[in-house]
Order: sequence, then C-alpha cells, then structure tokens
Amino acid sequence: MRNFFTYKYSNLYPLIAIVGGLTIVIFSLVYANDVRCSYFLIAAYLIMFLFINYKTCLKSLIYLTIIGGLFFLIAYLVSNRLDQGLSMINRVAAFTVGMIPGVSLGTDRLARNLSQIRAPRSLTIGMLIVFSFMPTLLNESRRVKEGMKARGSFTVLNPKILYRAFLIPFITRIVDISDTLSLSIETRGFDLHNKNYSLYKKEYIRFSDILFLLLIVLGIILVIIL
Amino acid sequence: MENERENFENLVKTLSESSEDISKSENLKKKEKEKVKNSEENNKIFQKFKIKDIVFLAIISCIMLLTGAFMPLVSNIPLFGIIQICLGLQFSLFPAIGMMKVRKPGALLFMSFFSGVVLIFMNTIMFFCLLLCALIAEILTILICRGYKSDWASFFAATIYLPLTLPFLYLWYKFFYSFKGEEGQAVSAFIGSDAGTAIGMSVAVIALCAVGALIGVIIIRELKKAGVIKK
Repeated sequence: MRNFFTYKYSNLYPLIAIVGGLTIVIFSLVYANDVRCSYFLIAAYLIMFLFINYKTCLKSLIYLTIIGGLFFLIAYLVSNRLDQGLSMINRVAAFTVGMIPGVSLGTDRLARNLSQIRAPRSLTIGMLIVFSFMPTLLNESRRVKEGMKARGSFTVLNPKILYRAFLIPFITRIVDISDTLSLSIETRGFDLHNKNYSLYKKEYIRFSDILFLLLIVLGIILVIIL
Repeated sequence: MENERENFENLVKTLSESSEDISKSENLKKKEKEKVKNSEENNKIFQKFKIKDIVFLAIISCIMLLTGAFMPLVSNIPLFGIIQICLGLQFSLFPAIGMMKVRKPGALLFMSFFSGVVLIFMNTIMFFCLLLCALIAEILTILICRGYKSDWASFFAATIYLPLTLPFLYLWYKFFYSFKGEEGQAVSAFIGSDAGTAIGMSVAVIALCAVGALIGVIIIRELKKAGVIKK
C-alpha cells in the first residue's frame, strides 16, 4: 500500500502505458477533423512530461515537426484549406503522441510484466530473443560478408553471389545458432509449460499510473462534452 | 559328471540366448511403438511447439525486423503499396524459411508477433493488422493445403502473408490521406487511389512475394540436402 502512493518519474506500468498510447491514437484518429482534437493532443503531450522521460517527449517533437509539417503542406497544397491541413497534422500527431508511452518502456519491463500476468512463456522468450539478438545477427552478417571477400566476391548486388555466397552461409549459421541457443535455454531450465517460476522484481500498479490513464480519459470526455 | 556339466552349460546358453531374443524383440516392439507414435504426431495438423521451434522463429523474425529497418523512411511516402514493395522480398523469404523448418500451424503467427512486437511501441494498429493477416494466411493454408507438410503450403502462406495487408492498407490510406477539397468534395492525397495503379501495385507485390517465398523454399531444400536441416 505504501508503494501504491509513491511517485516514480518515468516508470509507467507497462500495460497501462500501452493501453494509454492506444487510447490516444484511436480517439485522435476518430476526431482528427475537429479542432478540439488538436487541444486534446497538446494536453496529452504536456501530460506526458509528468510521467515520461522528458528526453523521449522532446525527441518525438522533432519527428512531429518534420513529418507533421510535410503532411500539412501536402494536405494544404492539394485542398487549399487550412482546416484540412490541421486534420492531417492531427493524424500524424496522434501516432507521435500515442507512441511516446510505448517508446519509453524497456523491453525487459514489458517481458517481466507479461510473465507476471502469466502470459505464455513462448511469447516472452521469443520477445526477449528478438530484442537481444539484433547485435549478434549484425555481427554474423558482417562475418559472412568477410568470408565473401575472402572468396573474391565483393558485392551482394549480384543475385547469384547473394544467394550462393551470402544467403546460404548466413542461414546455415542461423540454424546452428538457434540449435545452440535452444539447447542452452533448455539446460537453464526454461520450459514452455506453465510451471511456477520466480520473478525477483515485479511491476506494480501505482497511483500515478491510474492518474495518467484518468487524465487521458478526462481529456477525451472534455473533447466530447465541450 | 562331465556330461551333466555340458548339459548344464548348454541349458544356460539356450536360456541366455532366449532371454536376449526376448529383450531384442521387446526393444524392437518399443521402437516400433515410438515410430508409430511419432508418425501419428507428425500426421496431426496441430502440433505442440518446442523451445527450439520458438527460438528459430524468433531469430528469423529478428532478421525480418532488421532487413525491414528502413520501413519508417518509406512509410510516410503517400504511394499505395510502397511499404509492401520495399518489404515484399524479406517478408516472404524469411517466413518461408521459418515455416519450412517449423512445419506447424501457428508458426507464421509467432513470426508476425515477434517481428511486430516492436510495432507495439510505435504503431499498435499496424501490429494488430500484421497479426490478423498472419491469422488469415494460416487459416487459408490449413483449409487449402491441410497443414504445412508440403513445401507448397509454406510457399503459399509466405506468398499471401504480406499481400493480405494490401486491402487493409488501401482502407487505411483512404482514411488517413483523404480530406475535403475546396468545394467540399473528397480528395485522396496519395498516389494509387485510382483502381489501375492500385491493381498494378498489388500485382507487383504478389509477384515479389512469390519470388521471395520461392527463394526461401529453395534455400531450405538445399540445406536439407546438405544435411544442415534434418528431414
């Protein structure tokens, strides 16, 4: 109960963050043609600063300015109407503001949260592999390319070379890696059956998470009523 | 005395031989039972996933994600089907490889979940769209090919997976890029809103996906021949 009322900056409960983001996107897309939607999105963006790392919020603003500006121009030039340009900006902003809570999450926290609510092990294991395997795969592709150079082929633009000298060795390596990794996972006691396992750090819903969701819902109600 | 001993030794020999025969026949029976059980399990359309299946599918999905990393750059170009044209080859080649190795219904669903998991954070709607298309592709494959036993089933599923997103994308473009013009008429600000361009792009996407899926099937067949992947 003591934890429930503590406020932790940039530590939204993962599932609430995703639900919050999705709510913003869906609602804003539905009301994109309305000026009130712009006010709602501005308010939602400001609310983000209270709950999410300000750096993430500011980065998204750069994206919104560039892409939103481009889309505004397209819409304005085609329709010659400011309101249509604004509705286009609203659509882009809906995605930008909606993705902020999700982007601020760590994959480990989401995986932990999913494990906590007893989501299937296959999903969480796969999710973690996808996120942690990117550097390994990049290294592997670099090695295969080095091997290609050693054999005298310097480009992957030739389809024959791409197939024979890159794809075949690369997939062979992937099969080897996946076999080794699955054995390693099995020896560490991971199982796809829903057996009991320990979670050393759990994610708990705090008052601030509920407040975040309530503020978004309040914004939606105000847009509908006013 | 010697005769008795010989008789006794002969008896022991025959007994041990018969016991060996019994154990051999029992082993053979066990092996046959296991074979029958395995073949029964292999004949089932729906099979359980093992850890090694999940790991392989996750790694293949990771490659799909990496090869499609440039998608955010093209996703904002208002041309119908541009995303599918750019992703067509990768999003058919790697699913074909995944389904050829893990011949179980649900493999494509797992792959689209793992490759779309990044989209949960950025574009949740697209994530659900990919999952839905994977589900439709799986259902069609099971109905038409009765599982993934044949190579053509994997080829078929990998070919239709990405093109299935086209109708959803068309609706999405109609919604996202459409607004009212000066005189209140509906205007679509994307290239491909006319039927001709849309059909042309769709055909191009399907052809590209078919090529990708075919390459995937050929790669796995070659790796099976080489003994890298077990038959």
